Amino acid sequence: MTDRRAGHMTATDGGRLLAFAALLCLLVLAALSAIALGTVAMPPSTVTAAIFQFDGSRDHLLVTTVRLPRIIAALLVGSALAVSGAIMQAITNNPLASPGLLGINAGAAFAVVSVMSLFGAGIGDLYIWLALLGAAIAAIVVYALGSFGAVGQSSLGLVLAGAIVATFLTSLTTAVLIFDQSTLEAVRLWTAGSVTGRTMAQARTVAPYILTGLVAALLLGRHLTTLSLGADASRSLGQNPVVWRGASVAIVILLAGSAVALCGPIGFVGLVVPHIVRMIVGVDFRWVIPFCALGGALLVVVADAAGRLVFGSQSFPVGVTIALVGAPFFLYLARTRLRGEA
Amino acid sequence: MTRLLVALTLLLAFLVAASLAYGDVSLSWRELYHAFTGTGDPDPQSAMIVHDLRLPRVLLALLVGVALATAGTITQAVMRNPLAEPGVLGINSGAAAAAMAVIVLIQDPPVALLQAAGFFGAAAMALAVYALAWRSGTSSLRIILIGIGLSSLATAGTTFLSAFGDIGDVQRAMVWLAGSVYDANMIKVRLLALWLIIPVTLAFLTVRELDLIRLSDNSAKSLGQPVDRVRGLMIVLVTVLSGAAVAVSGLIGFVGLVAPHIARRLVGASYAWILPVAALVGACLVVAADLIGRIILPPAQIPAGIVTGLVGAPFFAYLLWGRRHGHG
Repeated sequence: MTDRRAGHMTATDGGRLLAFAALLCLLVLAALSAIALGTVAMPPSTVTAAIFQFDGSRDHLLVTTVRLPRIIAALLVGSALAVSGAIMQAITNNPLASPGLLGINAGAAFAVVSVMSLFGAGIGDLYIWLALLGAAIAAIVVYALGSFGAVGQSSLGLVLAGAIVATFLTSLTTAVLIFDQSTLEAVRLWTAGSVTGRTMAQARTVAPYILTGLVAALLLGRHLTTLSLGADASRSLGQNPVVWRGASVAIVILLAGSAVALCGPIGFVGLVVPHIVRMIVGVDFRWVIPFCALGGALLVVVADAAGRLVFGSQSFPVGVTIALVGAPFFLYLARTRLRGEA
Repeated sequence: MTRLLVALTLLLAFLVAASLAYGDVSLSWRELYHAFTGTGDPDPQSAMIVHDLRLPRVLLALLVGVALATAGTITQAVMRNPLAEPGVLGINSGAAAAAMAVIVLIQDPPVALLQAAGFFGAAAMALAVYALAWRSGTSSLRIILIGIGLSSLATAGTTFLSAFGDIGDVQRAMVWLAGSVYDANMIKVRLLALWLIIPVTLAFLTVRELDLIRLSDNSAKSLGQPVDRVRGLMIVLVTVLSGAAVAVSGLIGFVGLVAPHIARRLVGASYAWILPVAALVGACLVVAADLIGRIILPPAQIPAGIVTGLVGAPFFAYLLWGRRHGHG
């Protein structure tokens, strides 16, 4: 099967498979070197030894308690956000859509900020569950609002409902932060998006949801391609768009909700990585989803490492470096690859 | 349709009058009338409140609403995307980055500098988006994607400053970013009114072009429209309109997005009707938001940009889903 919108190199399934394998190798390489490099550089053998033959030495402790959890968080979050972004763009047929459009970021931020403002900043790991809960509730409200009434028949309902709920919650959050400086102080690094200081326990809390979501998204690929043609086309091809849109939204909640809970509202990955992937491998979601998973993970791992190595700060928000690393590449692609009109 | 225009104008007049009357010192309608017209021996203090404090603020809110709604309507037509608002051209993120930089990096910046930074940040981003999207012609999708890319770069700068800047400065910047019309005066109002005359008139003269470009590049071309030129003109109009609004009032979001949708719901698909109705709706929204923000939690003033989200969102939801027979 060939796809004329794909680049010449990856126009065949064989080419895509090769590119996928190359991307996978690149990701493993990037992850391992991100663990090895830092204020204390260590040889790759130490890294593998720390993972597989832990002996309690200082280097091994550094790897298992600081760097490894951070990388795992970056991998999980990157793949989850990119895949959920691809799903969102498919079900809304809108290039401006991202997981944030489902109210995920706004809901999570509102839940965390309001609870911190009411009960103080010392809520520990509880904020992960708060963010997850806030994201899920907001997304369910968006989906419910977007699915009934006359506008619910097309994707327009979902899009407008998302814009409404996200705006409402963001306004509430801003109102709280403007009057409450101590909460602003406590959450501003989280709202910038950060993988600093994530623990294995935190990663383990959300990992099951993200992995389930990723597997489900991979299985959904064919239906997403059909959905991305629009509700009318999907219906005439025998698909029930409402059912599959619902399933897709559930997956997005799992993926993006967990990602935001772990690392804060990172916007760029979910919006841009799917575009990059589609410009390179074409519009078949059986390929877009796996490429997004790898590409998103790679972007976040590289961006986090860049923040640590180039800016020399452990707490440099990864949300910033992601844009600095990813945006120029995306701009280049958008300028050169996009010839057709829309 | 004419009846709707009249109704909206009356609603706007009522909101303006209410904004003049209510506040920390509330006036009765009779007092307001005397203070406003200077007849019947008015109390000098209430005359001062009405003329020097509330009138400029209300007029500024009105003009900002018109500018944002007009810009939003044009953007949605040109980008053919229901989520499009002037922000997709990078206007908001450019203004936000410039203003954040001024507030965080400069000690006690003068207001004029902040406004200039807002306008030039917005204009520079819109220009950059359009220039980068130009490859022997433009396409709406390319503009949207380039806008996303450049906006995320600017937002990264804003986020960086807000994560590491002085916490007091960051909070001040958030108030500005939230959008408000609190430091209005008559000079500002006159300047903005003069500034808006040309782009708003041009927008109303070119509604036919909006009806065409909304379809698709091919259909518009085959109906004889020079698509690239029209798109360029419209983007200039949007930049001039919302850049000015951002400069005087910060980022009042949501109005540009929701006013055109409300207008379309009320009057159908023709831009000759959508544009004036959207402008009136936008003016009503911002005036009402400023009024509510002033009186709901005195003495604290909630920025109008936050209230547009808090009040506008449920209202819009009601319009979309509350009525049985929408236009689809």
